[in-house]
Amino acid sequence: MNNQRIVELTLLLLAAFITLATVAVAAVAEGANITWACIPYLAVLLGLWGISHMSLRKWAPTANGLLFPIAALLQGLGLAFALRINPDLLLRHLVWSAVATAGFIAVLGGLRDLNQLRKFQTPLGLIGLLFISTPVILKLSDGKAGSSRSFNFGSVAIDPSHLGNLCLVIFFGAWLASYRSRNTAEHLGEAERLDGDPSRFVPLIGAWLVTSVMVIFQSDMSSAFVLIAIFLSMWWVAVGRPIDLAVFLAAAAGSVLLAVDSVSELQDRFAAWTDPWSNTEFGEVISRSSFALAGGGLTGTGPGEGSADWISGATDEFAFIPIAEELGFMGGAAVLSSYLLLAGVGLRLATTARKEFESLLAIGIAIFFASQAWAAIAVPLRLLPPSEISLPFVSSNGSALFTCIIALAFLLKISETVPNTSDRTEPFSRIAFKSRGTA
Amino acid sequence: MSRRLVHVGIAFLAIYGLLFFRLEMIQIVGASSLKDHPQNTREITLNFDAPRGAIRTADGETIAQTVAVSGQRSRLRQYPYGSLYSHVVGFISAEHGGTGIERSHNDFLAGNDLAVRIQDNRDLFVDQARTGRLQLSLRHDVQLVTRAAMAGHLGAAVVMEPTTGSIWGMWSTPNFDPNHLSSHDLEAATTDFNALNSDDGQPLTSRVDYHSVEIGSLFTIVTAAAAIESDLNDLSVSVTTSFPGSQSSPAVTNSDGTACGGTIKSLMIDVCMSGWAAIGEKIGREPIQDVSKRLGLIGGDPVRIQNAPRGYLSPAKLNPSAPHAAVGTAMELTPLQVAHLFATIANSGSRIEPRLVEQVQAHDGSIIHNFEPNLLNQSLSKETAAELLRLLGENVENGRAQGLALSDIPVAGMSTSRFSGSNHLWAVALAPVTRPEVVVAVLLEGDGIDDQRTAEATVAAITRRIIEAVLRLSSPALGGS
Repeated sequence: MNNQRIVELTLLLLAAFITLATVAVAAVAEGANITWACIPYLAVLLGLWGISHMSLRKWAPTANGLLFPIAALLQGLGLAFALRINPDLLLRHLVWSAVATAGFIAVLGGLRDLNQLRKFQTPLGLIGLLFISTPVILKLSDGKAGSSRSFNFGSVAIDPSHLGNLCLVIFFGAWLASYRSRNTAEHLGEAERLDGDPSRFVPLIGAWLVTSVMVIFQSDMSSAFVLIAIFLSMWWVAVGRPIDLAVFLAAAAGSVLLAVDSVSELQDRFAAWTDPWSNTEFGEVISRSSFALAGGGLTGTGPGEGSADWISGATDEFAFIPIAEELGFMGGAAVLSSYLLLAGVGLRLATTARKEFESLLAIGIAIFFASQAWAAIAVPLRLLPPSEISLPFVSSNGSALFTCIIALAFLLKISETVPNTSDRTEPFSRIAFKSRGTA
Repeated sequence: MSRRLVHVGIAFLAIYGLLFFRLEMIQIVGASSLKDHPQNTREITLNFDAPRGAIRTADGETIAQTVAVSGQRSRLRQYPYGSLYSHVVGFISAEHGGTGIERSHNDFLAGNDLAVRIQDNRDLFVDQARTGRLQLSLRHDVQLVTRAAMAGHLGAAVVMEPTTGSIWGMWSTPNFDPNHLSSHDLEAATTDFNALNSDDGQPLTSRVDYHSVEIGSLFTIVTAAAAIESDLNDLSVSVTTSFPGSQSSPAVTNSDGTACGGTIKSLMIDVCMSGWAAIGEKIGREPIQDVSKRLGLIGGDPVRIQNAPRGYLSPAKLNPSAPHAAVGTAMELTPLQVAHLFATIANSGSRIEPRLVEQVQAHDGSIIHNFEPNLLNQSLSKETAAELLRLLGENVENGRAQGLALSDIPVAGMSTSRFSGSNHLWAVALAPVTRPEVVVAVLLEGDGIDDQRTAEATVAAITRRIIEAVLRLSSPALGGS
């Protein structure tokens, strides 16, 4: 039996214990409306974890044993809080979890080699662009601030922007890998080195345009932050040209300044950011979040004793607030650490991955988790202007959960190809940029 | 390559460090200031349908109670007298927090206070919902009298007992019915709240302690105190119709152009603004400000009832020039502050903190907390206070405040009217003169009376009606029954 799977099983049992304990403690709290009816839901969730674990044993026995339990813990916490705050969400949450687990198994079992993904580079890029722009299109057609980001089919809401982000990560990883293979020294003849490769301007300009559209037409600083974080991390690791970084950041800052100057909704959001107390449209939930966090203090009010009903979006974009309120600073810090750990494992995989595409994909996914969690938590902590972005794994936003679990499956798949003993070879050799001076 | 990967890792460690830092700043370092934030209605919202103690008046009427109901929420907060006590007890709402005593004394009512929660040794082991019952200094009979006298008028009235600082009655219009806001029908409650909140008359704001209005010539009682302390009470100013202005300040003119002058006694009786301005110049700014400070009119926090954190009051500033300071230019006070000022004079210069809640009681009626009368300072000497009281008595007997006089009991008092911008009418009465038992302050707003004399007669009549009725009511059997 494999070592990693034993670690995984042990940690999974711990995650299950924490989840059940949170629900149990909340259930005895006065006034919490937790009934026995939630037991089957919890059982199904644990069953889904078991299925995922078994499929890892079957298709990826050597994959990293830390990744899945961390994600499971976050997902379990999310469900434990959602089932008390809004029991109506339970069924939908569980159906999405089941769909996500099916996707997880499909990726693990169906995808023999991650390099197959590179064949779909262009369609994935186009789909990604289309998906992340749907909120903009929906908003423009709806024409009002704070309108829904998702397609609604009856009671099912699908927000494709998360999946769009993941598609773009895959596309960009594939693009950068082929860019690197075209430009590393051993592949280049002397003449080509002289000319350089101007194609690198395409993604730089493209990413700038996409984020500018997000900021200007959607007034969504958080999604723009996530895209910029993913793009710049991958770009910096793969290309490593400080000047590109500086120019891109300057251009992005220019777009933000332009938008702040002219878009009234973004001005409202910035006003709510600097002064949430004056109860503007976006400020109330921010100030209430601060009050709830202050009420939690170091050790929290205890599960079930918080004021989550009072904060709109406490199961989705503000999912962090009830956790940090009821489990206190210690619980909040534990959740933050979980995301750091998840990103850390992902980045470490990137250093050991055999192929550059896999390495870049690992970076992209790790930063996808880390930046999305950062942006979602930074909003109520007033580090970013108010916007609606789901907390990975925790939010009861089904499409976000689905995307995160698929991304996790990719990360696990990458870790499976990595030998457990870390080798110290450097995966990225230096790019040979032409320099006219030496020619 | 992997060095650049480390850069990415470090960058994310750094921005996550920011999150840890912010979380600590909000949850631990800044927690107490956030908890006391005026907009923080979290506590009271959490306690919305928890067990909650009743609020009773000094004469034993229950004015707020929690009753068991059937439905999704098992308890409902009720206010049996509706709007009669709206600005005293406030309200508690699931969505909009609360105001008044419901909010300021939430810890006692909801049993968050340790002394309330642990009422006897068994409570250490058995988790029972213990709540505290509040006993107010307010008297139901006085409140009814006040409402009846103020019927049909916009404004506020305060009835205070000078020796203890107890508030016997406080009434403010427009007001609201707290039962609508504490309703379980959250949508209706929200509709009502928004309607009340956007109303120009500000029915949610208690005019008694959150509405500052220029007090005009009422301030001359403070100038008189400063004059007596400066041994200027025998000084006689020459008879004029106006006090000449200078480059920096306009002239002080008597309202109807009459000529007046003399000692402070005749200045008081004639409401002689030009004379007060002349006195003010003699005394200088410092003594007037000094007396105002001792009386709690300027500097420090304005007097509030139990520090209910709602609204914000900019502390009034004395006009820089002494003559203008003497006639109270730009001095804005709340009705409670006015009542408090005259209560201090009535109480031989000892300033007692106004109090509304007398006791917190346990489930068996035993006393958990007793809010004793709290002496703030000796603002004026006994002699000065007695001299001022005499002046006020004279003012009712022979002066402009004759409308306050009762047939059998000597009354002291003042009345004034401000017709600049919006109409404000003030009247204050203390009775009996020899040893005042009660102080009544009344503010009327925008009554639409154009004639100054009629206006002052109206406000004086209301004040007289209240003080007469309160004196007739037998002294209450305090302690409830």
